[in-house]
Amino acid sequence: MPKEEILRSFYVPKLCNLCEHSPCSQVCPVGATFSTPEGTVLIDQERCIGCRICMAACPYDRRFFNWGNAPIPPEALLADYSAEHQIPAKKGTVMKCDFCPDMARAGTLPYCAQGCPNGAIYYGDLEEDIATNGTALVSVSRFLSENDAYRLKDDLGTKPRVFYIPGHGEAVGRDAFTPDRQPTEWPWMERAEGAATWKR
Amino acid sequence: MEALNDWERRLEETALAPIRRTGPRFWAVVAFLLAVIGWGAYAYSVQLRDGLVVTGMRDRISWGLYIATFVFFIGISHAGTLISAILRVSQARWRTPVTRMAEFVTVVALVCGASYVIIDLGRPDRLLHVVAYGRWQSPIVWDVLAITTYLTGSITYLFVPMIPDLALFRDRLGGRTSRWRGWLYRTLAIGWNGNAAQRRSLASAIGVLMILIIPIAVSVHTVVSWIFAMTMRVPWDSALFGAFFVAGAIFSGIAILIVVMAILRRAYHLEEYLTEKHFVYLGLLLATFAAIMIYANISEFMTHGYKLREGVEFHFRQLFLAEFAPLFWFYLLGGLIAPIVIALLPATRNVRGFVAAAALVTVAMWIERYFIVVTGLRVPLMPYEPASYAPTWVEWSLLAAGLALFALLITVFTKVFPIIAVWEVAEDHEATVAGSGTVQPAPETPKLAGEVG
Amino acid sequence: MNVITRRAVRTAISCLAVGAIAVTLAAPALASHVLAHVTVPDKMTVGETVAVAVDLRAGDRTPLPGTTVIFYLHVSFGGVAGEAEIGRAVTDETGVANLAYRPRLAGRHELRMEYVASDDGAVEVISTAFDVTGGEQLYRSAAGVDVPGVDAGLVMATLATVWSILFLVTLRLVAIARAGGASATPGLDQTR
Repeated sequence: MPKEEILRSFYVPKLCNLCEHSPCSQVCPVGATFSTPEGTVLIDQERCIGCRICMAACPYDRRFFNWGNAPIPPEALLADYSAEHQIPAKKGTVMKCDFCPDMARAGTLPYCAQGCPNGAIYYGDLEEDIATNGTALVSVSRFLSENDAYRLKDDLGTKPRVFYIPGHGEAVGRDAFTPDRQPTEWPWMERAEGAATWKR
Repeated sequence: MEALNDWERRLEETALAPIRRTGPRFWAVVAFLLAVIGWGAYAYSVQLRDGLVVTGMRDRISWGLYIATFVFFIGISHAGTLISAILRVSQARWRTPVTRMAEFVTVVALVCGASYVIIDLGRPDRLLHVVAYGRWQSPIVWDVLAITTYLTGSITYLFVPMIPDLALFRDRLGGRTSRWRGWLYRTLAIGWNGNAAQRRSLASAIGVLMILIIPIAVSVHTVVSWIFAMTMRVPWDSALFGAFFVAGAIFSGIAILIVVMAILRRAYHLEEYLTEKHFVYLGLLLATFAAIMIYANISEFMTHGYKLREGVEFHFRQLFLAEFAPLFWFYLLGGLIAPIVIALLPATRNVRGFVAAAALVTVAMWIERYFIVVTGLRVPLMPYEPASYAPTWVEWSLLAAGLALFALLITVFTKVFPIIAVWEVAEDHEATVAGSGTVQPAPETPKLAGEVG
Repeated sequence: MNVITRRAVRTAISCLAVGAIAVTLAAPALASHVLAHVTVPDKMTVGETVAVAVDLRAGDRTPLPGTTVIFYLHVSFGGVAGEAEIGRAVTDETGVANLAYRPRLAGRHELRMEYVASDDGAVEVISTAFDVTGGEQLYRSAAGVDVPGVDAGLVMATLATVWSILFLVTLRLVAIARAGGASATPGLDQTR
């Protein structure tokens, strides 16, 4: 889209859309990508052969590959093997956002929801109908219907379970193309002092 | 009859000549090809050590030269199907000198093609996971099954009609060749001596195989195309892909066959058997398939272009006007239009013209596979800047090594196995001669190696 | 009576007078205090939609229509405990606000309702607690595609057919090998 035609731009986090009918798990030749009963789509790093057909099949282009030796922090090497966390990253296998099931098991929120300074990411349970962004709790069905939530590429039939809520005219301007725009003053700067730290 | 015996003797001498004499040119060619393959092996070791990061592929364009070359080689492997099987089923007599080479090309191309998939894997050490944990729903598993079946069928289809010729070699070369060769021919000829029971079994085996190999070959390239068509990438989301790829496979198969024929004809003095007629007939088939490919391309582009859904406009721009335009227009003009023009003009309707057309088509079809893979992945699925892809030295080295392996295997084959189907050529010649004379034509049974000379 | 006693009595009488005035002024406010009553069914199971009714009445027992009642459910998820708004309802002419509530989780739950009843805009609260039984899974994800007939059986049948034909061809080869014992028949040469 040419820059002149853009009225407003906003950021969309690049996470797996957690399709109910996921093309990635359908095309995997060895079943390295699979749906769990809890509803997450995980990748088994020990099974993946690195053929990358899942990357071609994902209609949102949300999978990435360990092309070389990824830099691994020392504590990751000590982690036990589990399909629920993708550390340590193995060269030659595919990875994606897995919604941190190991964090859910520990009863905390995924890293992205904990870290977002604006509380923009809500993580919830469609069964319990509750979601939270770290501070506020919402009833998922009401939250989505009241805020006109939509899913990406709904017409493809992948039935994603990540919902996006369009902005409501917030004052935080993101028009990156205004020549002399002033730097945005972030309201969260003061809150950063008392921010929640990573919970394990 | 004297003339016939002389003719047959000349045929056999020509077939045996590569085995009997090996000149320095052969060793030079082999040495060069081995050097290229060695360099490719070094490049692969670099890739194994450092991972696929040494290639030009990245997260956006995650398939590149390797998969394009894989599809190219599998496509070439349809040479054998068309010539050997389809022409045999339709009883086209002129095919006889060409069948053996076509079957060679098929087997070798399948071996080379399959290795490119393995080279492209991120974890080749886990290759057996496909066997242990394979999922029926995956296009890659269909691919593995189809290619394995086709390879087995092709090797069988190469071997079975070669039995009488292997028996000829066994009988004629006995004692005058190395021990391993003698053992090889004796074993592979499985006791052929041309009696009636053996002839019946051979005829029935060939009959079954020539019909069976056609649907197998069609299914192979169809499932290869479904690796792309079963995803939701805009340029790949087409129901036409199966037929399109099969037509392209036969097209590139004919082309490589013409090239291989021209080289072997010059190298082994086969001018008497591979005449201009063969090149012209194959060239006309090439032009026919070029027309079919033009039609398929028009269908594909018209149906997408008329509607211009999201992403199609980007794809058309990158393919026709911008980044991939030089490749596409070379493919269209050099690979599709040129063979038709060459076939239509009487001045070029000869060996040289068609060999040139075939060379153009081979290169153009590799280019077509390349831009199908890369442009398909390049159309952005989300609003981000499109990525770009350029193969690195590792990928080019492995491409060269694969082509060298293809050439090397065919070269070595010609030194071990008969490059012409002697008995088929002989029986075709007999039938032609007898048909033009007063004697009733000889029955179409396999020539008896044991009794000649 | 000395002076201290007289002063104390005067203070007491003035206090009483002030108190009487205060009570008189306060009487209308006390008289407009809203009576709220919440009704929750006895037995609630997971997945079953029930009605939670809040009955608002003015102090003089007249119903209060047109008042918005906001319902909050106390939940905890992902280490965060608090209240999530699960619905809003407006009282009808009989003063009853009904919310259709579908419990999703078994156990003891606390529901808190807020409403702005009086003219001074003060938010008043009423809460209740109830038990929900049952554990039926409500959300089922249908992962994967299921086309009847197109399954592993079809692939295996096709493969079995093709490979058995190839095997038959191998049997022909075995036949050729075994027939190698017989001598070559005088064949075509004689017919030429």
